[in-house]
Amino acid sequence: MTAGGPLAVPGEKYDGEWLRVHPASPFVRGWVALAAIGYFFGRDAFERMLQGEPIMGGQIAGRAPWLLGGGALVLVLAVLGFILSWYFTRYQVTEGYVRVNTGFLFKQQRQARLDRVQAIDIVQPLLARIFGLAELKFEVADAGESAVRLAYLRIDDARQLRATILARASGAEPEPGRPEAAAPEAPEQQVLQVPPSRLIGSLLLSEQSVFIVLGGAASVVLSAVTENRAFFLYLIPAALGLFAAYWNSFHRGYNFTVAISPDGIRLRYGLLDTQAQTLPPGRIQALRVVQPPLWRIFGWYRMQVNVAGYGTAGNNGEAGTRTTLLPVGELEDVLNMLALVLPDPGTDDPLRVFQCGLYGLDSDGGFVTTPRRARLLAPLGWRRNGFAATDTALLMRSGRWWRQLVVVPHQRTQSMALHQGPLARRFKLADLVLHTTAGPVTPRVIQADVGEALALFDAQAARARAARKRQTSEHWLAQAAPLVEPAPPVEHVETGLAPGLDHRASHPPQQEGPQRG
Amino acid sequence: MHTAAIDPPGIAWLRVSPKYVTVRLVEWAVGNLIVVAVLSLPLLFTLLGWWSWLPRWLAVAVPAFMLVLAVWRLVLIPRQVRAIGYAERDDDLLIRGGIFFQRVMVVPYGRMQYVDISVGPVERWLGLCTLKLHTASASTNAMIPGLPAEEGARLREQLSARGEARLAGL
Repeated sequence: MTAGGPLAVPGEKYDGEWLRVHPASPFVRGWVALAAIGYFFGRDAFERMLQGEPIMGGQIAGRAPWLLGGGALVLVLAVLGFILSWYFTRYQVTEGYVRVNTGFLFKQQRQARLDRVQAIDIVQPLLARIFGLAELKFEVADAGESAVRLAYLRIDDARQLRATILARASGAEPEPGRPEAAAPEAPEQQVLQVPPSRLIGSLLLSEQSVFIVLGGAASVVLSAVTENRAFFLYLIPAALGLFAAYWNSFHRGYNFTVAISPDGIRLRYGLLDTQAQTLPPGRIQALRVVQPPLWRIFGWYRMQVNVAGYGTAGNNGEAGTRTTLLPVGELEDVLNMLALVLPDPGTDDPLRVFQCGLYGLDSDGGFVTTPRRARLLAPLGWRRNGFAATDTALLMRSGRWWRQLVVVPHQRTQSMALHQGPLARRFKLADLVLHTTAGPVTPRVIQADVGEALALFDAQAARARAARKRQTSEHWLAQAAPLVEPAPPVEHVETGLAPGLDHRASHPPQQEGPQRG
Repeated sequence: MHTAAIDPPGIAWLRVSPKYVTVRLVEWAVGNLIVVAVLSLPLLFTLLGWWSWLPRWLAVAVPAFMLVLAVWRLVLIPRQVRAIGYAERDDDLLIRGGIFFQRVMVVPYGRMQYVDISVGPVERWLGLCTLKLHTASASTNAMIPGLPAEEGARLREQLSARGEARLAGL
């Protein structure tokens, strides 16, 4: 880092000083453009070389100076552009803000509040990984583009910056005497890891595999009936696309590890490009656990979350990966993750409630289901569609075949609506929709009894109000983080968490204690 | 005043201005009459004998169907407008709407990010406005149309003040 001054002094690194990203970053980002230029001008010569002709033969000899000159000019312009873009990209981390200035002709200044940080990602594309660089993405609550993208920093600097931002965002006061000191990286403890074999198995048994098998069978039958072999040709692009989709899922879910630190949940994954996401405590707006029918054989589940700033998931897009909390996991993993996301489940028997939510039927675990009179509307699902409210979260389950459990913490409820169509009115039913930030999870209590739905509507409004009053600060160390004993399988997690919190917490949790005794 | 099954009990709904029917009528006319008119063109052409390939019954049925649909929508408008209601509670705002597909929404004041007031040309002529609440969730589609202008301004100030007092983060 040349222009930013020496970075070796950790003490006064990120305070108020304007820094630049790594000088190699435009080349890492723009290598495709450079490669294209090289290819464009080098192709001809290369082809001649392959054909055994002299490189400067025939008519090309006369044009060679022009071609070379042109190529050099384009190259110089590109490199100049890279250097300018690097020179004019600067960032600064101050007490409450991150600021990034970019642009040379059209300048852009961006400022993001640190206490509004929703998530921080460190992304390493393959090339950046080779050079030991990383991109830092900083999300605030805006379902659009990332608030701040710093590409690229040296990986150590990126980690250091992430620690600093998270420390500032958590409200941890700097050490007395050395207010400028960079925050130490929060210690973390690995919670679970997805083995590659399970990932492959989950892909083979995923929903799309079912459709592929069905489609393959249909085309074999069709070709046998019509005795037409030609249309197999049309299946080739489809097969390529499917292969790409599988590869994507595999490559993104590879080596998926979850770790817990006082700064929040860390997710790491990726085969060639690696990504490390940090979700600070309490930033998860809604969560869902799904189980496609075939996954039931091995008892696997997938978890997805809504985080403000991550936005809606496209099919295979970036957001689709970032909103995945667990690509595939067993029941124990799911319960572990639930305990991390919801440290205080707000019920005396969280294990039973969550298990009933995952695969239970009827009123086990305190769930209220669709009344029996409506079984015509949901012949399969009426015994499963239901909701249960704990002191801290609302659980909504649905689906007999595609099992789903949605969890929304009370203090994350934005607004709510009761819906009732003509058919539902005939059966005295109503739906309750909870509104949350954009993401893959859409919480909805379906086909509840009108009386129950109304009671839930009122109770939920009251609970959300009470939960909001408790949550007074965006700084997660400043508010009481109720850390009660979690569900039995996660005891090893808590042992790792407690010393970390002591280490970082400058003031102990004051307000109210755990909900249950 | 009509209250439906999914309304929370004991709420005194404030209704929007009856003049809002006019706004909806204009919207209806712009939307439906143009569609019906365009779909009637084939009928006109067949009657004039320009188009002979089109069966007469089809040329009549399509615009007639659209006309019936449009009239049905027209008949519903006054009831739909009467069904819109809102109520300010201590900590949240309730909004209801719909006849067949009813909806009751609750928006906590502390969750409001900002409040919009918009006025279209017809609304301006009638002295009405539309108030829209935004939370961090895009699916919060909380809109109160057809408010008298001064009521809209009062509500906006009221909501902003209450939102500030109860402001919560995400």
